Amino acid sequence: MASQRRKKNESHLFRYIILGAWALFCLVPVLWFLSIGLRPRTEIITQQPIYWPHFSLDAWHMVWTDWPMGYYLRNSVVSIIGSVVIDLVLAIPAAYSLARYTYRGREDIGFYILSTRMMAPAIVAIPIFFLFKNMDLLDTVWALMIIYAAINLSLITWIIRSYMLDIPKELEDAARTDGASDLRILWEIIIPVILPGIITAGVIGAIFAINEFLFTLLIASTKSAYTMSVALANFTGGSDGVIYNAIALVAFIAFVPVFLVVVAIQKHLSRGLTMGAVKG
Amino acid sequence: MTDTSMSGTGVASASPGMPDRHFKRRSKRLRVMFPYLLVTPAVAFLLMITLYPGAYAIIQSLFYVKFANWQFVGTENYRDLFGDREFWTALWNTFVIGGVALTLECVLALLISFYAYRDPWIKGWRIIFLVPMLFMPSAVAFIWKLAFMDGRVISDLLIRLGFIDNNIGWTSSIWLSRLTLIVADVWQWTPFLFIIFVAALQGQDEEVEEAARLDGAGWAQIFWNISLPMMRPVIAVAVVLRGIDIMTMFTNVYIMTQGTPGGTTETISYFIYRIGFKSFNFGYASAASVVMLIMTLIIAQLIVKRAFKSGKE
Repeated sequence: MASQRRKKNESHLFRYIILGAWALFCLVPVLWFLSIGLRPRTEIITQQPIYWPHFSLDAWHMVWTDWPMGYYLRNSVVSIIGSVVIDLVLAIPAAYSLARYTYRGREDIGFYILSTRMMAPAIVAIPIFFLFKNMDLLDTVWALMIIYAAINLSLITWIIRSYMLDIPKELEDAARTDGASDLRILWEIIIPVILPGIITAGVIGAIFAINEFLFTLLIASTKSAYTMSVALANFTGGSDGVIYNAIALVAFIAFVPVFLVVVAIQKHLSRGLTMGAVKG
Repeated sequence: MTDTSMSGTGVASASPGMPDRHFKRRSKRLRVMFPYLLVTPAVAFLLMITLYPGAYAIIQSLFYVKFANWQFVGTENYRDLFGDREFWTALWNTFVIGGVALTLECVLALLISFYAYRDPWIKGWRIIFLVPMLFMPSAVAFIWKLAFMDGRVISDLLIRLGFIDNNIGWTSSIWLSRLTLIVADVWQWTPFLFIIFVAALQGQDEEVEEAARLDGAGWAQIFWNISLPMMRPVIAVAVVLRGIDIMTMFTNVYIMTQGTPGGTTETISYFIYRIGFKSFNFGYASAASVVMLIMTLIIAQLIVKRAFKSGKE
């Protein structure tokens, strides 16, 4: 008995060593990067790395005065919210159709929607660039909105579809015998019931939109369309090199809201990330 | 749209008579069309953003494009491409970097989720382990660019620990350069697999586990013989989704290595970007896009469809 208990304690110890080590691996670079954002430029790229820097808000002032941070924020927020709204308007009816009706070609349509998720941005980058150029949409948030919506539509449709499949059919049948139309059932019964799923889909879409880099890099060329993700890569000041403390601060400005929202939807995260294939 | 709501009552009150039958036929056609109508806007939008560019790329790949001047060259771009060492290097790199990173991520995520899923503090661990994933990829690329290259922090730490004597030139060697990209990817995206695996493990039947434990099975045996087979479809879906993203890796290459040394860390996405938007050789870049598109379609048909089918059932 005693030896068994010791064995158990040892296995506990081993478990906490593994988990603790991974936690350090996750957090140490983050904390160190935060310290980069809160130190003066002279202490970033040095002969010997400085682990205990002097505290400074230089980067904070620089981000707001030397760079149009307000524009970057506005562009990110407007394009992301716009794209999620477009996606929900398109995805909810599509998901309803895929989840609730049987018809010829349904599987193929569903798989086509899913397969657009696999399209590498680089494949379509050049044609999309010329498309927006011809439409005179280069360097606008409208182009970003359209492209983010396109990237996330498959994801959002499949997540919502997965939540719709969970609703017992009886719920709808009851409403249908009362004479409610399909669209009314969708609006008044389905949508309220799967609201958590819709929110999850929207949040995950928004995160992918914040992260988007290649298309934004091609579309945006001035502050009228730069988002935070791509603006980072422009924090270089000629002879000054890469301005890391400003980059670090912008990284955290984007991180905090994402972190808070994700913690709020944590329960649904695994299901959302697998487009509904895994029920968490 | 309001027609459908009427169709319900129309059918209910249907009585023999010409106008009604006419109405019934129309409403029936509408009922058949209705699911298509619901899915059409989404499909139309996606076609616009995939079919049009796909066709455009195929056509452009047959031309030599110099700004507004298109000169038909037939399959010359493709012939050049297949003889281009840089293209094959980029393709090879994409598989090497992606394969190593994906394997590491999968093994690490399985290991950590195995130790975490019955831990009383699992909620806390989950939030901590999620953190790297919630930074923008461009920010993560800068974190590791500073740590490896510009700030020499990793070298400094290794010197202090006595592993090496001098600073390492991370971009001077092929494998070290690839390693920096792999570390950045593993750091950011292992959490993605972890979150999914942990959810699958937590959803596993506790009674089966308990019964196996009473039979004298250890943790490792339970994991190997019960959990892992149960998780197979989940692992398939998660790895496929991660694999898709890793094979299109661009941001890290753009920010961290720019393909150095000598194009050996270039991925296929970066190759297309460089040829198209730095050399402005759009026809040639489009040919590479088309090759990548065909590979994607094959992989999609062979692997992804199957993974999602098994994940569903």
